[in-house]
Amino acid sequence: MSMINNAMSGALAAQAALSVVSQNVANLMTPGYTRQGILLTSAGSSRSGVGAAGNGVQTPQLLRFADAYKSQQMWTAASTQGQHGTMQPYLTQLERVMGNDTSSIDGGMDAFFAALNAASVEPTSSPLRQQVIASAEALTVRFNSMNQVLANQRTAIEQQRGAVLQQVNGLSSDIARLNEKISASNAVGTSPSALLDERDRKIDTLAALVGVQVVEQPDGSRSVSLKNGAPLVVGSTAAQIAPGLPLADGTPTLAVTFAKETFNVASRDLGGQLGGLDSYQVEVLQPMALSINDMATGLTTSFNNQLQAGFAMDGSAGTPLFKLDTSSVSALLTLHPGVKAQDLGFSSDPALVGDSGNLKALIGLKDLSLTVGSLGTVKLGDAYTQLVSGLGGASQQNTAALAVADTMRGYAQSNWATTSGVNEDEEAVSLVQYQQMYQANMQVFAAANTLFDATLAILR
Amino acid sequence: MRIATSQYHQTMAQTLGSAQARLEHVLQQMANGKRLLLPSDDPVAGVRMSRLNREEAALDQYRENIGALSVRLTQNETALDTTVSDMMQVRDLLVWASDGANASEDLNAMAGSLVSLRDSLLYSANSRDHEGRYLFSGTASSQPTIVHNGTGYVFNGNEATQLVTVGNEVTQPANVNLKEMADLLNQLDATIAALQTTGVNANDPAVRATLKANLEGTDTTMSAVNGKIAGLGGAQNILATLDDTHASVSVANKQALILLGQLDYGEAAIRLNGYKTALEATQKAYSRVSNLSLFNVI
Repeated sequence: MSMINNAMSGALAAQAALSVVSQNVANLMTPGYTRQGILLTSAGSSRSGVGAAGNGVQTPQLLRFADAYKSQQMWTAASTQGQHGTMQPYLTQLERVMGNDTSSIDGGMDAFFAALNAASVEPTSSPLRQQVIASAEALTVRFNSMNQVLANQRTAIEQQRGAVLQQVNGLSSDIARLNEKISASNAVGTSPSALLDERDRKIDTLAALVGVQVVEQPDGSRSVSLKNGAPLVVGSTAAQIAPGLPLADGTPTLAVTFAKETFNVASRDLGGQLGGLDSYQVEVLQPMALSINDMATGLTTSFNNQLQAGFAMDGSAGTPLFKLDTSSVSALLTLHPGVKAQDLGFSSDPALVGDSGNLKALIGLKDLSLTVGSLGTVKLGDAYTQLVSGLGGASQQNTAALAVADTMRGYAQSNWATTSGVNEDEEAVSLVQYQQMYQANMQVFAAANTLFDATLAILR
Repeated sequence: MRIATSQYHQTMAQTLGSAQARLEHVLQQMANGKRLLLPSDDPVAGVRMSRLNREEAALDQYRENIGALSVRLTQNETALDTTVSDMMQVRDLLVWASDGANASEDLNAMAGSLVSLRDSLLYSANSRDHEGRYLFSGTASSQPTIVHNGTGYVFNGNEATQLVTVGNEVTQPANVNLKEMADLLNQLDATIAALQTTGVNANDPAVRATLKANLEGTDTTMSAVNGKIAGLGGAQNILATLDDTHASVSVANKQALILLGQLDYGEAAIRLNGYKTALEATQKAYSRVSNLSLFNVI
């Protein structure tokens, strides 16, 4: 009778194997699906003698073709990709605005100095003086709109950070819940493969948002923490993260609430989209805003001082031209209230209206050295060019880093797929093999049945 | 190496994505005719172009200033030319008046002509521009050049020059003054007073001395004004030379800008073709590979 039992075990094993094949083929295109296999072992005989070759085949467990190292690689690549990918749109937007000749501060500065130069032809001409005021106003508009662009980016970054943190919180809770289910599933012995896949996918999504460290626990759960060690998930408990108040130097912070305890951590070098937002804000946006501020301050101080050292057309001291308000976004730089063409102090002698000594000094301010934020000491007329150049360099660097990150991520993904992905042809071969195995076992069963019938016929 | 079926599709998607990004870039370059679409495409060339653009803007303004200044100098020259021709007539009349054969009535009539010439000279000396600024008052351009203070004509301006920026740190004087005209007008007044006297005698030594002094004064003033006209002509030449220099530098700058920033369409077309071929080849390879499946034959 062992023959029938053996055939039975073979047919069942083939059925189980075919079921695995069908699962694999069904998930041919499922992202993150880890292919499965079946472990076949022969069952030893429980009796002695030549008639006892064995007790057929056993299927002790399902195999899961996963490589934790390759998953880790994929997540690291996702963080790097997320970081550079998030920065690039902001960099490109700023580049487009700052590099545009028609809207740039450079163009406004050119027009302003051109108007001053033109006024030197006839320093007492009202239209030429009016042109100086008009071009000064156009320049203030350019400064303000640049400041507005930077402020808008700051707002967008804060909003995106909020959205990212919300997703991080959601994913952390999901992972914690999956941890719980997986531990339970392990305890009762059901296959947690689909749960593991889902958890890996969640971790992968999380890694794109923020860099993570993942540690496998003996009960099958996974602990997830930020790169600075702050915990996100421990077992079935998830942390909640909210934006904190920035540090004195402008570094953003996170308020991490874990197990009813809240602590603040500096949001620095965290990787992922969050890290990208942080480093864009701290390394690009803040220095740029400071530099634009410094330029506006330098322009205002130098021109107002020089103009006040000169004399207006009625012989009185010149009035200031610009008004600076560093606390305002849309009115950082404006014209001094009520400044009129004849108030501009172009003359260096109160008695001589046609003198252009002070106007010459004003024109010379283009070569004035001033200290501008991230650039150090630069000439007023060249500061903006250097800012755009610095931004271009940063953007170029990030583009290159993003290309590398894309390649690394692609490599990590295909590396993962090499182990865990489903190959259609391989499954086709398995399908044919296990089908044949099933049919062969059925033949064995038929043969056993024939033998049994023959034995019964003798008895009849 | 084991290959997962999904990898074919993923590789294809990635290849298509990057090929399309490259195509889009070259198409945008071709549409704009620009090699650099963003500063990050080539930050170093970007800085060079930005600085060339700054210099171009300054050169444009310098050249505009030269044009405006040249017009202004021509205006000055025209006004000075008028005074010179007036002074020539004054001189002719003075020479005629110095003839001892003139009757007193003739001299009286000459005085009438001299009055109108004196007024014309005063008017020309007090020439104003379209905004009412006096051309020949130096930098005191709000004050009339020559005024009569009750006892005589005095120069009311100063001898300072207005300097116009015509190049980086290069300035050119934009005005001349007519200080010497006051002396001439005073002499003319003296002559007119002498000649207007009823029964004036052309051979009176006092009258002759007045006429002689006035003649000499006219010659001195005329040569001074002619010197100023020559100076203005010289300034025009300097301006023309400067303008030429600016124009050459500007041409060089524009060439550099084209070299740095303009797209080489031939090279772009070759790139476009290359990307297109690569894309087509990938698509063909994909359609072949994706048809291969063991499931099709079992």
